Amino acid sequence: MTNDEKYRQLFIATFGVTGEALPGLAYQGVDAWDSVGHMELIAGLEEMFNIMMETDDIIRFNSFTIGYEILRKYDVRV
Amino acid sequence: MSGFRLLEGKTAVITGCNRGIGKAVLETFVAHGAGVFACTRRETAAFSEFTRLLSEKHSVTIIPLYFDASNTTELKTAVKQIAASGLPVDVLVNNAAIGYNALFQMSPPGKLKEVFEINFFSPFILTQYLVKFMVRQKSGSIINISSTAGMDGNEGQSVYGASKAAMICWTKVIAAEFAKSGIRANSIAPGMTGTDMILCIPEVIRGKIPTGGVKRIGQPSDIAATALFLASDLSAHISGQLIRVDGGLP
Repeated sequence: MTNDEKYRQLFIATFGVTGEALPGLAYQGVDAWDSVGHMELIAGLEEMFNIMMETDDIIRFNSFTIGYEILRKYDVRV
Repeated sequence: MSGFRLLEGKTAVITGCNRGIGKAVLETFVAHGAGVFACTRRETAAFSEFTRLLSEKHSVTIIPLYFDASNTTELKTAVKQIAASGLPVDVLVNNAAIGYNALFQMSPPGKLKEVFEINFFSPFILTQYLVKFMVRQKSGSIINISSTAGMDGNEGQSVYGASKAAMICWTKVIAAEFAKSGIRANSIAPGMTGTDMILCIPEVIRGKIPTGGVKRIGQPSDIAATALFLASDLSAHISGQLIRVDGGLP
């Protein structure tokens, strides 16, 4: 599985959304992506890609799309 | 207590383990079967030997971690070491702190910042990192060692007391925010306790010991016993609470 596939699968598993919904998905756009869901997502990403995100990036991580940019900052090839 | 270990299979992170309350919490937790990341600021041969002997005595893993929690780089390195171990973080005890006693008008801004840096900002940031382990596990217990100084408004404790009051409020907030993730957070407010820090307590308060409450000063083991309860499943339904451990002093 590529990093991109892992990234997408984590969103689908964490928030119970379909793959088609991912491009437009944003924080609080679905019930499951609340503050608790956000921490579950971040914890999952950190474990999956063996990274430790700065708090500023955790706050900035407010959409599926911007997540790519943030992960690349941590040298994750997505 | 032999044969009855309340923390068997759990792993705890404890800060400020080299003396006083932190050391007592470390001893109590390992006696109850917990593996421990024992955090102190500086590496010393005495502490390394102490943890080695303690580990052997109770057949548990103790991993000493040396870092200055107010140094972000050192703190992150320590968190990475915890992550690399592959061990869970079931319990976090934020204990490391410094005392300070001065009248409000005699409290310089530099000291205010220093006390808040160590007593509040550092545990706040460390918890931000470590709570993610608990979120993944969907369980955990965070225990913040505050102080009655954060509740009582004693003369001479505007700086120290405020830092501990901040901790008490913050504990209630994270208890609410992480309840859905199965994570509990509670504070302990020790009163006068027999540690080096008692020297920071104003004379007027120390003078109450002979007559008040149970008529003795608290011991680090008194605080450790409360921490043990909050770390264990005995307190599974307790979160967002502040437990005053002061022997009933007025």
